[in-house]
Amino acid sequence: MQPNHQETTIAAVDTSTIKIGETSTGFIIAIRGATTWKQKRNYRYTRLGPFIFHITEENKNEVYNTLERAYFSTQYSSNRPASPHLMQMPTRLASLLERWIQTMLTKTVSQGLILFDGSLTSGTFDTPAQRMKEILSNARRNRSTVLAFSKMTSLRVNGHLITEQLPKHEPPYLLETTGLRCKPPMIPLGDVYVARLNKAKYAFRLDIDREIPLPHRADAVEKLLGNDLTTQGYPETLRLSHILCTFTANEVLAIKHFITRKHGIQIINRPDMHRLLFGPFGRGEFYS
Amino acid sequence: MKLYKKEGNILQILSFPTENSEKGDYLLVEDPDARKALIAQVIDVQFASIPGVLEELLRTLPDGGVPIQGEDIDPLEIASHITYIQDASLLICKIRATFENERLSPSSSWLPSRSQSNIKKLSVPMLLKLAKVEGKLPIILGGTKDSSLLTIDASDVDGTLNIITGKKGCGKSHLSKLLMASLIGYKATVVIFDLNGEYTSIGMTSDGKRNMYYNKIHALTPSQNFKVALDQLHLNVIMGILIHALHLPGTSSREFRRTWKSLKEKGKLTLYELGEAIRDLKCNQHVRDALSSRYHALVNSGFFTDTPAESTLLDECLLKAKEEGGAIVINLRNTSTIDRQIVVEYVLGKLVDALQSWKLKAVFLFAEEAHLYLRETYWDDIVTRMRHFGIFTTFITNQPDTIRDSIYRQADNIFLFNFTNEHDLDVVSRAARVDAETVRSIARDLPPHHCLTLGKVVQDFPIVTRVRALDIKTMGETRLFFKDRN
Repeated sequence: MQPNHQETTIAAVDTSTIKIGETSTGFIIAIRGATTWKQKRNYRYTRLGPFIFHITEENKNEVYNTLERAYFSTQYSSNRPASPHLMQMPTRLASLLERWIQTMLTKTVSQGLILFDGSLTSGTFDTPAQRMKEILSNARRNRSTVLAFSKMTSLRVNGHLITEQLPKHEPPYLLETTGLRCKPPMIPLGDVYVARLNKAKYAFRLDIDREIPLPHRADAVEKLLGNDLTTQGYPETLRLSHILCTFTANEVLAIKHFITRKHGIQIINRPDMHRLLFGPFGRGEFYS
Repeated sequence: MKLYKKEGNILQILSFPTENSEKGDYLLVEDPDARKALIAQVIDVQFASIPGVLEELLRTLPDGGVPIQGEDIDPLEIASHITYIQDASLLICKIRATFENERLSPSSSWLPSRSQSNIKKLSVPMLLKLAKVEGKLPIILGGTKDSSLLTIDASDVDGTLNIITGKKGCGKSHLSKLLMASLIGYKATVVIFDLNGEYTSIGMTSDGKRNMYYNKIHALTPSQNFKVALDQLHLNVIMGILIHALHLPGTSSREFRRTWKSLKEKGKLTLYELGEAIRDLKCNQHVRDALSSRYHALVNSGFFTDTPAESTLLDECLLKAKEEGGAIVINLRNTSTIDRQIVVEYVLGKLVDALQSWKLKAVFLFAEEAHLYLRETYWDDIVTRMRHFGIFTTFITNQPDTIRDSIYRQADNIFLFNFTNEHDLDVVSRAARVDAETVRSIARDLPPHHCLTLGKVVQDFPIVTRVRALDIKTMGETRLFFKDRN
């Protein structure tokens, strides 16, 4: 592949969630989303959050429904599972925010490249097929292309991970995969490639919208190569999105400080039962 | 503020941005259960080691190194809390005393409760009250950071050895003038070896009018209004001049002593007669030549006279100063190195004589850049023998390594201005009344005209002061070529 330096807006989105602490009825989580875009050689970002939630067994449906209604003007359909598991709520809420930011980006960016973190597989609880179809459709309507990069994949060919079976070919290149099947109810909305974008030894799973014609797909990746940095074979815009939304230890402390000041919640360290019961043997490798 | 760590006599205190503590501030760490408190001084302010700060700073920089621009939509306003945590500081504090049962003790051997201790700032007036730094004879040094005045007691300078040091242009001479003026205000006798002629106008205000000290300042310029008749000199004083200032060898010294005594017995102790006696001396040619060259050095200094009327000023000034208090400024400006040593030998000898015979009670001696005129043996003399006679010296220097270690060890008070040079700080930190960390950490960051006062005058609680202004005519300013262009 050859980098195409034609001026193209590149936008990326990522979200992050972290558990701040547990309460007697549930836990407190924080969620944040970040969108980064590169336009005319400059990176800019918008960060949303952190949003802090106290999730309990009692309020989890209400919280989720309220947010979904607010973001997508929809409610649970009758055939959806009754409610997300309490432990899955942080990722569910983060996914909700991520889908909303993705929707907004695909509606606003025209003739650009929109980078997602993860795959274009839908049909899961937090990625309903219809919602992902709408996102991709929005992008196509604005003549943008969605490229979804997965840092990890479990897809294998002949027992080997697809990102580890690399040909002796000068990068950058794309490897097309065929015959991969998803287990129902998951629906693949993108074709899966292995992308090695530079000489770094890292390759990533890349999902490209199925509805995009084949020549446009290669063209999109070449524009990505010509317009964004690909240090370690990963797009800088997406890397920045990830970095900007991730919570640092300092921010966790700040959130705890906010909770204490604003809501008078005292934060105490829960006794570590492993350590309490087993002493230095309680955490194997850490305490040896 | 929260107590974080105690190691030896160092406390580490976690402080948040709103609490705003700086180097030099005093903190009171009260343990209500133990019913006692530690008094600690902040000697350094560092960033607290907050996890994740590096990531926080790094992530706003893309590969190009230019900060990434963006917008944060933060409805809960967590950013202010992030900044609050990120800007938390760690105060490194030196324990100065323990306050228990209304009394201070220098102990730091107990451990206050980390969770229960209350930490608050201790204002300088409160500290001085606790330390009983009371001013029966107050000298206002200047203002402290908390807008209070630092007032020391003149009696704490009495009988002490003091050092005023700091780099060039930071206000040492100004402070010494302030101390000097305050002392003569209490009718003390002050003698100043004024190397640059900058103390001679202390009796004038900045606009050239006479001030309250005018009649108490006696400026003596050697070979002009300050001359000495030989018959006023004690043999030991002239011998001191010849041996130490003019390096007269032993054999020649013995010959001179004999000649001097002979002239004294005949009542002919004048410059002319001394010259004649040396010329007619029947002795070894080398001895005569040696004496002759020293004689001419004495004559050429212009400091000696055969006219009695010209040679009474020092005695008169000392007498005046004894009665009303006053400063005798020995103006050594435009005086050669040898002549300077001759004058200093004479004045010190004269002072010792006057003190031994109780013509004077005590003298506060201010010596600027003393290494330029004080002979080696006088350093120890000043801190031991002369102190017992009643000469209480204040050394003023911008080259701290020119003052001997023994002087630092025995200094009772040190007024320390800014130093950035490590070597200079090392030298000063040898003083017995202060710890090296305090000197190194605080003195390095002192702004101009701010002085760290250490020692007896502040009961060993180092305090940073902005030295107050004096309405006196400034003479110590450096002459500038480009002055008019600013």
